[in-house]
Amino acid sequence: MTKKILLSLAAAILVMTAAVVIGTVMIPLDAAWGIIAHHLFGTALPEGISGSQAVIIWNIRIPRVLMGFMVGAALASSGAVTQSLLRNPLASPYTLGVSAGAALGAGVIIITGFTLASLGSFLLPITGTLCGLLSILAAIVFASRVDAGLSTNTIVLAGMVFSLFINAMLTMLTVLNRESLERIAMWQLGTLSGKSYEQVFGFLPFLVVGLFGFLLFSRELDLFTFGEEQAMAAGVNTKRLKWVLLTLCGILTGSAVSFSGIIGFVDMIVPHIVRRIFGNSHRLLLPMTMIFGGMFMVLADLIARTVMAPSELPVGVICALTGAPFFIWVYFKRSGGGKPHA
Amino acid sequence: MLEVRHIRTGYQKTEIIHDVSFEVSRGEFLCIVGPNGCGKTTLLRAVAGILPYQGEVCYDGTSVARLSRLEIAQKAAFLTQMSEVTFPYTVRETVLLGRYSHRKGLLSGYSKDDYRITDETLERLDLTSVADRMINQLSGGQLQRVFLARAVVQQPQLILLDEPTNHLDLSFQLQFLDYLRDWMKESGRAVLGVLHDVNLVRSYADRVLLLQNGEALACGPTAEVLTGDRLQTLYGIDVRRWMLDSLKKWEDGNKE
Repeated sequence: MTKKILLSLAAAILVMTAAVVIGTVMIPLDAAWGIIAHHLFGTALPEGISGSQAVIIWNIRIPRVLMGFMVGAALASSGAVTQSLLRNPLASPYTLGVSAGAALGAGVIIITGFTLASLGSFLLPITGTLCGLLSILAAIVFASRVDAGLSTNTIVLAGMVFSLFINAMLTMLTVLNRESLERIAMWQLGTLSGKSYEQVFGFLPFLVVGLFGFLLFSRELDLFTFGEEQAMAAGVNTKRLKWVLLTLCGILTGSAVSFSGIIGFVDMIVPHIVRRIFGNSHRLLLPMTMIFGGMFMVLADLIARTVMAPSELPVGVICALTGAPFFIWVYFKRSGGGKPHA
Repeated sequence: MLEVRHIRTGYQKTEIIHDVSFEVSRGEFLCIVGPNGCGKTTLLRAVAGILPYQGEVCYDGTSVARLSRLEIAQKAAFLTQMSEVTFPYTVRETVLLGRYSHRKGLLSGYSKDDYRITDETLERLDLTSVADRMINQLSGGQLQRVFLARAVVQQPQLILLDEPTNHLDLSFQLQFLDYLRDWMKESGRAVLGVLHDVNLVRSYADRVLLLQNGEALACGPTAEVLTGDRLQTLYGIDVRRWMLDSLKKWEDGNKE
C-alpha cells in the first residue's frame, strides 16, 4: 500500500512538472527550474532565458497548473463523499444540482454585467459558490420537508429535480440574452486558461475548509456506507452529518465551478478509480482522491491546450473524452468483465 | 438493564406499537415473537433510538432521550438483517468500524486497543482466515458473523437482533446463537431479539414477548408463554398439529 501511495505521489509530481514545461512554447526543465528558483529564492535568472519564457512559466503555467490541481481535488473528493453519503455509485455534486446552481449564479452576473468594486474579479466565483450552496441547501430543505428522515433517495430525487429546474432557468436566461450567449457557453464548458495567483489564493480558503472537513469525518463516512440505520446504531448523528457534509460539498464544488466553469466526469470517475486501487476506507480514499483528482485535471488541461495548439479545447470536453473510456477500462477490467459489484 | 415503559411508536402518522411495556435483565435473552407486520422491527428500532417514540426507554435507569447517539451506541448494538453493501470493505475494516463509539476526540484514529479487540473477536468468531477478504466475497453465514463481530467489538451491554439468522442454514443459525449466548452469559450482558423460528426461540430465549397488532399479548418465561394455544391465537394455525404433520412427513420421506 505504501508503495502505491508513493507511486501516486511521484506520478502527480511528474504530471505537474510536465504541465509546466510542455506547451505551445516548450521550455527545458532546467530553465523552468531556474525561473521558479529565481522567484522563490531570489537566485539570479540563468543565462539564455528570455523574459517571455519567465512570464510563461511563472505567470501563466504555474498558476494554471495549481488551479487545475485544486479544482480537480475539490471536485473529485466532493464526488467521493457524495457517493458514500448517498450510497449511490452514480451520485455526484453535479447530480445534486450544485453545478447548476453555481452556473446560474455566474450566468446572471455575466448577463447583467453587475459589478461590485469591493469584490472585483471575485464577484463571479463568490456568487457562484453562494448559488451552488444555496441550490444544494434548497434541495435538502425541500427533501427534509417531504421526508423528515431525510432518506438518501429523497435527496437524490430532490437534487435531480432542482438541477433540471435550475438548468432550464439558465437556458431561458441565455436565450433571452443572445449577446451573452458565447461568453456563458464558453464558461459553461469549463476552462482553466487565464488563471492568476490572485484566483489561486482566492480559491485556497474554500479548498482548505472543504478538504479538512471531509478528512475529519472519514470514519463516519465509512459507517455511512453500510446504511443510515447502521451508522446511527454505531453512534453517528446521521442527520447532522448529512447537513455538514453536503454543505461542504456545496462550498467545494460551487467554488470550483465558479473558478473553472462546469467540468463534469472528474467527480464521478476519479473516486471509482481510487476505490479500485486503494479500497473504500475513507482514511485513504479521500486523500488519494484529492491527489488523483488534481492529477487527472492537470493532465486533461495539458491535453486540452496542446492537441490542437495554438487553439485550445475546453478542458471539460477532454475530461469526458479521456475519462469515459478510461473509466470503463478500469471499472470493468478489474471486475473480470462481469457485473461491477458482484 | 433495559426498561421499556408504555412505548408508542410508528411511521409518520401511523401508530404501529400501542402502549407496550417490558424489561430485559442482565444475562437474559428476551425474544419478541409475533406474525409478520405485528411491529417487531418497529419496536426494536424505537428501543435502539432510531425511531422517535412516546413513553420511556431506559438503559440502566437512564432515559435514552437524555443520551447522545454515541452514548446509546456504547450501551446497545443493533444487528439487522443483511443489507446490500454498495462499496465493500475488508472484513477487518468492517469489524474495526464497530469501535467508533469508543473513539476519543474528533481527530483520533484507531488505538492499539481497537486493533487488539478487533483481532481477538475475529479469532473467536473464526474469521481470522478471511480478515483481509472483501466482505462481498463471503458466504451469507460468514457475512452475518462479520456483522456480529462488529456489534461485539462495540462492547455494548445489550445486543438488539432483528432476524439475523434468516438467510442462514440450520448449522450456521445454531453456531451464531450459541456464540451469542456465550457472549451474553460471560459478564451479565443481554440480548433482545426477533426470531421467527419457534424451535430456536424455545432453545435460546429465556423469556418471550408475544406481540400481536402492536400490542403485547403476553410476556414471561418461554415455556409458560409459548404454548400451543397462544401460538394458535397468534398465527391462526394449529401449530402443534402443523409441527406433528411436518415431522410425520419428514419421517415418511426418510423411510422411503
